[in-house]
Amino acid sequence: MLFILIIAALLVFGGIYYALDPSASSVFPRCTFLSLTGYKCPGCGSQRAIHSLLHGDVATAFRHNALLFIAVPWIGLCAYAESRRTRNPRLYARLNAPLLIWLFMAIILIWWLLRNIFNW
Amino acid sequence: MQYWINHNGKQFGPMDLDSLKELHLTSAAYVWHEGLPGWIKITQLPELQGLYEMDGEPVATATQPLDATQTQSTRDQAVMGQPYQQPQYASDQQASPAEPCPPTNLGWAIAATVLCCIPVGIVAIIYALKVTNKYREGDIEGAKRASETGAWWCIASIILGIICQPLMSMLPAIMGMGM
Repeated sequence: MLFILIIAALLVFGGIYYALDPSASSVFPRCTFLSLTGYKCPGCGSQRAIHSLLHGDVATAFRHNALLFIAVPWIGLCAYAESRRTRNPRLYARLNAPLLIWLFMAIILIWWLLRNIFNW
Repeated sequence: MQYWINHNGKQFGPMDLDSLKELHLTSAAYVWHEGLPGWIKITQLPELQGLYEMDGEPVATATQPLDATQTQSTRDQAVMGQPYQQPQYASDQQASPAEPCPPTNLGWAIAATVLCCIPVGIVAIIYALKVTNKYREGDIEGAKRASETGAWWCIASIILGIICQPLMSMLPAIMGMGM
């Protein structure tokens, strides 16, 4: 049931992000953090990146938000491990090992810092 | 293989089999190694048989050789079904009486950080870390609390993202009207 809901939500949002270009349309929300502080948040550009990705333009997507290329597979892996937890508890345990979580947090923080320094 | 031990409220490890012998454990100890979904009783791991005392009565210490019955039962268990490999395939509950690790919400935390435009999702990631650490220390209650708090941070991040973003889009208009 939850699985169907998630797939449905993904399809709906996928359709919206495919049809409309976030950099040209005003219906898409602007980043709160960017508006408040003037600094980019780790997720800035992900809407435009998703739009580009859905149109097969990987290079542009990467320019909008490179973190997405790590985060999305990682989230997918987490979801997969969660759904297979009873069958394969080892994968879940490995994925949630402190070292890996630290690593991901470090990636996010460094990305956040660098993108504001170099204006990525 | 590295083992973690939880005995009388204290935690030891990671350590190998040889160091385990020096701990003078009893059958009340819990043990964990990579691949297990959670702490299990030391008596459930056949390869650790003879490394702990049963009900205060020494079964076999490190220096003594295993007695005949002990060896026999170890061999039986090893041949029949190989119980120490089961947790990998059985469900969390079936594998051990110890509780499985509460959800870390890591996927949600990452999604909240990357997609919600407010970096409070990072707090949820820190809580995911806390869940795993507390659980490995044997503090299941603490792990559960961290799991719940982390879940609330994820929810807060998503709700804030949904509420704030339209507000922020309207902000220039509101400010414009004020001026």
